[in-house]
Amino acid sequence: MTRETSARALWLINGLTLLAAVIFLSPVLYSIWMSFQTSDAYYSGGVDFTLRNYDVAVGQYNFARYLLNSVIVSGIVTLLGISFATMAAFAFARFEFPGGNLMFGAVVATLMIPSHITLIPNYLTLARAGMLDSYAGLILPAISSGFAAFFLRQYIRGIPRALDEAAYMDGATPLKVLWRVIVPISKPAIFSMALQLFIAEWNNYIWPLVAISESDLFTLQIGLARLYRVNPGEDVIDWPLVMAASTITILPVLLGFVLVERHLVRGITMGAVK
Amino acid sequence: MLRKLTPYLFVLPLLGFMAVFTYYPILQSVNLSFREWDFMSPTKPWVGLDNYRLLLTTRDFWNSLKVTAVFALISVPLRLALALAVASFLIRETAVSRISRGAIFLPAVTSTVSIAVVFSWVFSTDYGAINGFIALLGFDKVTWMQDPQLALYVIIFVNTWKQLGYDVIIYTAGLQAISMEYYDAAAVDGGRRFHVFRRVTFPLVMPTTYFLLVISVIDAFQVFTIVDVMTRGGPAGATDMIVNMLYRVGFTLFDIGTGSALAVLLFIFLIALALVKARVIGRRVHYDS
Repeated sequence: MTRETSARALWLINGLTLLAAVIFLSPVLYSIWMSFQTSDAYYSGGVDFTLRNYDVAVGQYNFARYLLNSVIVSGIVTLLGISFATMAAFAFARFEFPGGNLMFGAVVATLMIPSHITLIPNYLTLARAGMLDSYAGLILPAISSGFAAFFLRQYIRGIPRALDEAAYMDGATPLKVLWRVIVPISKPAIFSMALQLFIAEWNNYIWPLVAISESDLFTLQIGLARLYRVNPGEDVIDWPLVMAASTITILPVLLGFVLVERHLVRGITMGAVK
Repeated sequence: MLRKLTPYLFVLPLLGFMAVFTYYPILQSVNLSFREWDFMSPTKPWVGLDNYRLLLTTRDFWNSLKVTAVFALISVPLRLALALAVASFLIRETAVSRISRGAIFLPAVTSTVSIAVVFSWVFSTDYGAINGFIALLGFDKVTWMQDPQLALYVIIFVNTWKQLGYDVIIYTAGLQAISMEYYDAAAVDGGRRFHVFRRVTFPLVMPTTYFLLVISVIDAFQVFTIVDVMTRGGPAGATDMIVNMLYRVGFTLFDIGTGSALAVLLFIFLIALALVKARVIGRRVHYDS
């Protein structure tokens, strides 16, 4: 084989690979395209570009509100979740204290627990506390991440203790050491975990489904499922409108994904492949 | 004094919320599984094992167990085989490989509801993409999601499509961890491609396969969203996965006792699987060092 033909073969393989990737994503790409078509054009097979579907989804079906709810809930869950996990990880990595190993074991045990066992009791707890149909009801059950705590503890153990000790010598408190020494060094790990928390909460479906009945508090996932199900199973669905709502639901994560894919992949493989 | 309290203060927020929203609910579920309650009545009478007995004699329970088992038996090998093939093909760190892996990974982090809605369109009878192609070829339309023989396969397809990227990422990491020396040795021996794969790649990537196997079985028993959006367990219970039944019994029939019993059974089963997973990871860590 000459160099020329092998280069051409490489081009061909690369081209086919990219084509396969586009075909793989085509349902989603097409749904975005469809969301910019008028219903008439879509059902008659023509092309007629419009923003009306977004206007209807946001205006008539309250998707701006759902978007805001999703941003607020996922944002707070991520912020609190990562803070609590980092604090606990720091304590487990750096302090010897009575009960510490037991507590760490209890945290690790939560990695095995399927979330569905907590569904009914958490519903009851929040009902009793009068917190169904509230942001608190959406947020509180989601902010203790055993995985993030476990993962960050492993990471922090890899940071030389000499750095902490130098800071303590200068009279720093543990909180200062955490904030000034550990957190800056752990930034990549904390960022990866925060991303995973955010994505998981953004896409959370079953908990908002049971905890929220007030439509002003719907997250995007619930709003989209309801909009689609107006006429379940029937083909009188306004597909372009549904796809506009779907695009609003996907787009923030899609845009973020392009920027942070590397961190996300690193976090996932670090968690799975030791 | 304060010095001694410090670590406790640091773990308090995490463990406090875990106590209320994770540990307590487990005990509460077990407790409720022995009682009869409908969310409303002032008393929750103790009924012993009645809920479990009822569950084990209900057609719905065995049906959802069967549906979930069939789902796992088909979707798990499918996911692993596809993922290993794709990861092997995209293993090199070229721009095209990276972009393609990113494209395949995208659905794994995207909203499951959106994906379910998009594929509801793809498989819809009158305007869907697939029936569009079928019509172009001159065949009759297929009622994908209304046909009890087909609906579960549609769900399996969509779930595989969504999860594939995650498996590919893990396999890619596993494959890249295999030392080049093995391949060099195989090359010296004049190994052919398939031979090298069978004798070198496949055995060395086995720990990753075990890991993904357990993970994807655990996933299979927790599928809910795709089914809830696309078929709601229908037609005629053909896609009624365990969690869909749990949701229906608990939150639409308000039978808290039976719902809790179902949750407890699922819990026991998944904990057993998770222990297998922990052993697999333990062995692998050992294997590496």
